[in-house]
Amino acid sequence: MDQDDKGKSGPEALFAEWMKSAADFWLSAAKTGPLGGFKVPEPMPASAAGYSTRMQEGFQALLKIWQNSTAALSSPQTLESLLKGMTASPDAALRIIRTTWDGYSQLYQMWLKQTGKAYNFEGLQPDAFGEWSGFYEKEIQPFLKMPQVGLTRLYQERANDAVDKFAQYQTAIAEFLNMLNTPVEKSLRVMEEKLVEMSKEGKLPENFKDYYNMWIKVLEGHYMTLYKTPEYVECLGRTMNAVQDYKAAREKVLIDLLQVLPIPTNRDMDDLYKEFYVLKKKVKEMAKKIENSEALK
Amino acid sequence: MNQSGIPIDLIMGKLAEDAEKSQERILKSKEVLLGPLETEIATTPCDIVYEEDRIKLKHYHPLAENRVKTPLVMVYALINRETMLDLQPGRSVVQNILKEGIDLYMIDWGYPTAKDRFLSIDDHVNGYLDNVVDFIRRRHGVPKINLMGICMGGSFCIMYSALHPEKVKNLICTVTPSNFDTDKSLLNIWVKAIDPDRETGTHGNMPGDVLNLGFLLLNPPRLMLDKYVGYFEGVHDKVFVENFIRMEKWIFDSPDVPGETFRQFIRDCFKKNLLIQSKMELDGKRIDLKKITMPVLNIYGRFDHLVPPAAAELLTGRVGSKDTEDLCLETGHIGIYVSAKCQKELAPKIADWLKERDGVERSAAAVADVPKPAAGPKSRPSSAKKAKVKTTAR
Repeated sequence: MDQDDKGKSGPEALFAEWMKSAADFWLSAAKTGPLGGFKVPEPMPASAAGYSTRMQEGFQALLKIWQNSTAALSSPQTLESLLKGMTASPDAALRIIRTTWDGYSQLYQMWLKQTGKAYNFEGLQPDAFGEWSGFYEKEIQPFLKMPQVGLTRLYQERANDAVDKFAQYQTAIAEFLNMLNTPVEKSLRVMEEKLVEMSKEGKLPENFKDYYNMWIKVLEGHYMTLYKTPEYVECLGRTMNAVQDYKAAREKVLIDLLQVLPIPTNRDMDDLYKEFYVLKKKVKEMAKKIENSEALK
Repeated sequence: MNQSGIPIDLIMGKLAEDAEKSQERILKSKEVLLGPLETEIATTPCDIVYEEDRIKLKHYHPLAENRVKTPLVMVYALINRETMLDLQPGRSVVQNILKEGIDLYMIDWGYPTAKDRFLSIDDHVNGYLDNVVDFIRRRHGVPKINLMGICMGGSFCIMYSALHPEKVKNLICTVTPSNFDTDKSLLNIWVKAIDPDRETGTHGNMPGDVLNLGFLLLNPPRLMLDKYVGYFEGVHDKVFVENFIRMEKWIFDSPDVPGETFRQFIRDCFKKNLLIQSKMELDGKRIDLKKITMPVLNIYGRFDHLVPPAAAELLTGRVGSKDTEDLCLETGHIGIYVSAKCQKELAPKIADWLKERDGVERSAAAVADVPKPAAGPKSRPSSAKKAKVKTTAR
């Protein structure tokens, strides 16, 4: 197939044909349709006739703009760059999907490894959360950190910051909850092994409560072991920082919204509270001094 | 035949039996839960004799003839409420102490609001506590009072006693953290991950709900699951339900902690451990433990998971007093006040100890005349009146 044939049968040709037929349709519709064929009926006041002429002129102006833009889009160079952009989006989407899928499959493998070892919390930190954080910081966060322009730039920056902090908060919470869930999974595995042993020895309890008590004890032991690991303490610290950062960012946005309303914000009240506190302290000190000097008299 | 060996048929049979029992229990529990329940706490009669901002001072009506002339002021922590000391008749440290003939006052720290966020430890110790002590001294016409602290309240009492030793006759610390450099408590480990400036900057006051959640996370299986399994097993028993609900009322009644107080407590105590080193300062005034020269009784629990013995036992070795005693009870952080055994031990011990020291004060010269036994290489400096650590069998 030579270049001409490719040009005639490829997506560019299809797009050009579609644009042409759409333009022709609307042009003929404008001429033959109710507005195109509209004639002022007699007798009609002059203002009404003038109004309908203005409407017609407006519609024809719109149609001319449409024709010009479709003519521009029909040109091969414009079509080529447009289609390049369209084909680039699936590539980006595919990359995102691939990274996310890799992350999930790693997480799953990690989970399989972790639940195998009882009372063992080494290598606890699932890399999947780290990978997602890395991906987020590389691919998504830069857009949220972009400097804003215009009259509302400060408000927009604070809103973007709140979205950014929310995403980090979600990741931190998910990681923390995942960590808190690990002892439950491990304890179930331990119970499984214990029951197998006990059944071999013929010492299985008959009472459901005994199974429950065994499991609670095992679960408690796993939590106590987990709580002392440095990974847990670091994760706890990260989660608390993420919660606080998100709360602070969200409050800034809320204060921006509240400023529109005639009510004081937390920031206004905090300033007042600080002044109250300083004033009260001064008054109490002075009252004590007066009391002491009167006692001395 | 079951290949795994698990007696499924027996378990199912037991489950069926349990289901029948549960059904009876549910019917009885309906009567209990929908009927009248006595779940009031802190019912011992008292008067509010002093108020300042959110602080109230309770003075309890006496229940016995006065045996100890010097009034006792109890200072609870800022975390949770002092109502735990008066949970119910029969399980009330307050009533037990009143029955021992002690004139008792209790500080109610109230519920901090947003306007309290700038209150520091200095405001609580040299402000509110000092004003309360002065009020009681004027009211009774005494130069000194007896001071008893619980947990963080005990830490405040230590600070106060070091800064105002002329106003404190005897100091009692119960489950009081004075040494925070220990990994025996999960709190000490976890707090290392907290940034107090960030916390205070974000929340203002430290929310009581966050503190509650933190305490629950210390042992989720027992505190969030097993406890309620036990509750549902005893829900048909009115007395059990009433006791359980009282404890629930207290345990989830958590006021916020004023932001600046929280910030300083975490930074200076938990992170830098300045208190036991006599390096902590309140408004520029250094807390020198050597200035604690009054008798000190230090009570703590061997199985206390919040204030383990390692966090409490160093105090008596660092104070300047020659009359100190450590008492280690075989119980936990709250058990020291609510367990049936400790109910019979704690108040009599405190009363006897205070009674022995309620007389006229000896002069400094007389104290210096008391011979001091030689201190061993690893032992703390001791005196003739310093008692060994006593432990009570569980």
